Amino acid sequence: MTTLRPFTCDDLFKFNNVNFDPLTETYGLSFYTQYLAKWPEYFQLAESPSGQIMGYIMGKVEGHLDNWHGHVTALTVSPDYRRLGLAALLMNFLEDISEKKRAYFVDLFVRKSNQVAINMYKNLGYIIYRTILEYYSGDQDEDAYDMRKALSRDVNKKSVIPYTQPITMRELRHQTNH
Amino acid sequence: MAHQGMDTALFERRLRPIYDNLEVGNNRKALQESEKLLRKHPSMLCARALKGLALLRLGRYEESHGCLQAVAEDKPTDDSTLQVLSFCYREMEQLNKIVELYQHAVKKNPGNEELLAHLFISYVRVEDYKAQQAVALQLYKAQPKNAYYFWSVISVVFQGIRGPESAVPEKRKIYLGLAQRMVEKHIREGKLESEQEAFLYLHILKLQKKFQEAWEFLTGELCAKLYPGAPVSMKFELLKVLGNWRELNELLQQLLDADRDRWDYYKEYIQSCFEILKLPITEGATEEKKFSLSACQEFLQGIIDSSERKKRGPYLARLELHQRMRAHQLPADQLIGDFDELVVEYFSLFADKSCCTHDIALFLPSVSMKQRQALANKLLLESGVSSTSLPMNKEQMQKHICALQISRMCGAHIDLPIDHLLAFYTALKLHYEHGRSTFGNKLLSTEMGPSDPYALLAANVMYDISLRENKSDYLFEALCLLQYVLRNSTSNFHVKLLSLKIYHMFGCLLGAQEMYEYLDIKQIQLDSMGYVHCQLLPLCGRFSGARNSYDTTMKFFTNSYKERLEYIALTYRFCTFSKMEEFLNFKERLTNSLQYVTCSLEAQICDLVSCYANVHQNLSTYTVMSIEPAEDRIAWHELSDNRDLDAIIRWDPLHQVDADAERKDSFDQEIEVLQLRSLMLRLYATFIDLYHPPPITKPSLSDGSKEETPAPAVESATSTLELLRDSWTGLYQRLRLMNYKPLPQQFLVNLLPTRLHLLLELPYERFFDDLAQLVLDLHSGAASLAAHCKKVGDNVIAVMELCVRTIEESNEWNNKDGLWKRRYQQQKVAASLEMLSLYAFLLSVLNDKLQVSSKTKVKKKQGDNKTQDTPQPVSEKERSQMVQELMRQLKHKLEACDAAIRTWKAPVLPRDLSSFMADMSLKPEVEATLIGDVSATFKDSHELMVTELRNLLKDKIRMVAK
Repeated sequence: MTTLRPFTCDDLFKFNNVNFDPLTETYGLSFYTQYLAKWPEYFQLAESPSGQIMGYIMGKVEGHLDNWHGHVTALTVSPDYRRLGLAALLMNFLEDISEKKRAYFVDLFVRKSNQVAINMYKNLGYIIYRTILEYYSGDQDEDAYDMRKALSRDVNKKSVIPYTQPITMRELRHQTNH
Repeated sequence: MAHQGMDTALFERRLRPIYDNLEVGNNRKALQESEKLLRKHPSMLCARALKGLALLRLGRYEESHGCLQAVAEDKPTDDSTLQVLSFCYREMEQLNKIVELYQHAVKKNPGNEELLAHLFISYVRVEDYKAQQAVALQLYKAQPKNAYYFWSVISVVFQGIRGPESAVPEKRKIYLGLAQRMVEKHIREGKLESEQEAFLYLHILKLQKKFQEAWEFLTGELCAKLYPGAPVSMKFELLKVLGNWRELNELLQQLLDADRDRWDYYKEYIQSCFEILKLPITEGATEEKKFSLSACQEFLQGIIDSSERKKRGPYLARLELHQRMRAHQLPADQLIGDFDELVVEYFSLFADKSCCTHDIALFLPSVSMKQRQALANKLLLESGVSSTSLPMNKEQMQKHICALQISRMCGAHIDLPIDHLLAFYTALKLHYEHGRSTFGNKLLSTEMGPSDPYALLAANVMYDISLRENKSDYLFEALCLLQYVLRNSTSNFHVKLLSLKIYHMFGCLLGAQEMYEYLDIKQIQLDSMGYVHCQLLPLCGRFSGARNSYDTTMKFFTNSYKERLEYIALTYRFCTFSKMEEFLNFKERLTNSLQYVTCSLEAQICDLVSCYANVHQNLSTYTVMSIEPAEDRIAWHELSDNRDLDAIIRWDPLHQVDADAERKDSFDQEIEVLQLRSLMLRLYATFIDLYHPPPITKPSLSDGSKEETPAPAVESATSTLELLRDSWTGLYQRLRLMNYKPLPQQFLVNLLPTRLHLLLELPYERFFDDLAQLVLDLHSGAASLAAHCKKVGDNVIAVMELCVRTIEESNEWNNKDGLWKRRYQQQKVAASLEMLSLYAFLLSVLNDKLQVSSKTKVKKKQGDNKTQDTPQPVSEKERSQMVQELMRQLKHKLEACDAAIRTWKAPVLPRDLSSFMADMSLKPEVEATLIGDVSATFKDSHELMVTELRNLLKDKIRMVAK
């Protein structure tokens, strides 16, 4: 049971019950404000009937030509509101917006070790498109999966033909710049 | 331009080393490089600007100021110089200077798009909407881009709703009408392009309450094309204000058919049903009244019946309908069924999810206390776990947890006798342990234990008992339990938050600090969650320990303060009209955060209390603070409460919790505390300034950049002192009359008392009031000086005695309960030392000054004295002796404090906990380490505090020793 609404600056003061979760990163303000200013419709929040923040999704749309796509930057659901299909609801929302923006596909990066999340994305129709080496830095660097789902504009599903070779961060940056 | 003939590439190469050094923070080297370059090319503007920046970074404000001023006067037009200058002015918060800079540049290059865009953003920074509008139009003329056109539109809108004229309804109307016509002209010309432009048009119409026009546009072809992602909530809002309830009702039925778990849709849907009831009766009307609500019930039932997977939505909606019907005295039971049965049904379907408690709690306030408690019992029964049985599986356990949480919310536990509560606590503890060992193994480190909520509830129950008995034993046991839970489920932040709270209650700063670090609070959380730790640190017993925590918080605030305007500039750059007002308000909230202001103030006080170097170094520390006591820099009416009080979970009896009142009362008190602290600091600063006038060199950092005249420093310092002293006693008088009640401490998650009552109870008022008189008399050499020395001396004795007595009491309390009053005792000791430390620094300054002047006999000073009408001022030598006498006395009293602190015993912890641990079926080695760790935390915390306070005293004794 959810109210879906755009994430606002004021929510930054109230999202602690979600962000205290160890897998949810609290970023610097400029990160949030950049997303809010540039892709306001891609930053949505799910609110409970009692007004609590249950979770939110943060994303963007970018790329050229047939690489024009929606991207999920962060998706998080408070521990109290798990197993209610909330993540799917938020993902649907982002896919829907991306459809309306005529994007070819939606993609996201996920830790290779985060099996729970990978399975969930698979259930939502995402495939492992490629591996990005050492995407997550930390005590121990970790690889990421780049997962993708084609949207209706990609009639021939060209965007979801998997790469067999893993790519490095450098190659990734190079690609995004083009 | 001097260098226009020069090759730009060559030019950049020469500047590169300066930029590079600035980038890595090597400002000294950057300065050298710029000077080197300027020797060859003395007129190179960018190099001069960079030199100004390097000087600024080195803290050489005066030189920097001169340097930048000279560059600005040359009216540069090249981008790099302008960028450097505006960067400097932004650092110094001289935003108007940036405007001037680009005004000149634009004048020299009319129609230059880039410069105009910079000029526009510089007006955005100072929120000059009128100027924004003019520049945006120039931009549009220079380069007919839609973005510029709409920059001017939004600037007109802001003149109508935010600018200085927005309070005048006619003006508002004119501006909004103009904005509307501007957009409509664009639409007629077929130039509307983006969704944000469409949004803005809708917004303008709505601001003028032209809802019908907004509706037509929203549902029209153009909007569908430009703004396909327009949120459907826009439609509801318009249909609601248009009173189009039937259409709204139909729209929502369609939406709900497709999306059956949307609370926002259900809520509007149910409201529309009630509104249709109210509509005037037209033909075929008699049917309609009944029709509407039963249709609603049927619709909801239809969704329930046809859904394969059970979703909470329609069930909750049915409860909402029930609740609303009862509120309207309509026969809810008849139409929908018995309320209790509906709740029980909901419970049986969804109580295996942890959100079920929040859901049911929504509907409890609408029924009587008696019904609530009966309902709670039904739910416990429904959970299938009795006092003699254990949950069979994880789902049943969650149901049991939910039923227990709701029981507490219904007030079922609160009036139980203590032995019942203890038995309940034991049961909770056992349930926790059973659930952990049965369903909680193979937990990921990122997961919370499924039975953790039992332990959280147990901690709350133990607080209730502690409070009734006025004893810490039970709560201490709860703390051990929580620490045990934390070992099993390392990511449970609820456990950390409650532990943090208990550690603070018991004055155990080390434990609190550990929990705070464990929570990994950062960035904006430092603001919204600062109340759980930072806000509790002032006067808690440690000074330098607290100072480190302020530092982290301050770093976040200073940083975001610097960036705050760039966020807003960003919304213009991306033409995100839907977010501009939001960003402007956010900026206000952030910069006026009570947490921010409090933290910076307490950090300053802390620095003055703990300064330890020689008097000249201490004075320069003081000068850098630039307190400027004559100026009250706090925007008292704008202060913003950014605390996220809901982050701490609670299941306290709903009828006894008033979260809004708690928020308001605590916020009001925190503001009063801030008043006291701010005034104390400013008053104290006037004492110092009287003897050590602040240098007039540093240019004002505020944007007003008012001319700072080398005022007759002494007279103005004296009058400021007198003024602030009156405010000080006036404030105390007012606060005593206000008769604030200490914040209620009924439940574990209530906020701890503010420092207000502490500050009123301790002798702060008299201490600083008498000090003010002493400082004045010493300055003038008034005949009453000796008497005032005596007064101040007596105050010092009183404060010392307060400190010593508190420690004795604390040691005595150790025989019955070492923890219950600990925090309060530590606060009193810390406050005593704060007063004495500030006094010590002041005496060292007075002594320094009087020694110098009695030796050199400054002529000016004597002249000053003559203008006063005192017949025979006390000679400077005598004054100096008096100060030295005061120093001797203070040294003596500080030593007495130190002696007392040396005898201060670590808190004796409650009775042995073997029975508690036995229940937990722990391995002996775990048991030993757990209790050992918690006890060690208390012991270490005490020792750290004692060491720190003794070091502080040692420094102060040294300060007044000569």
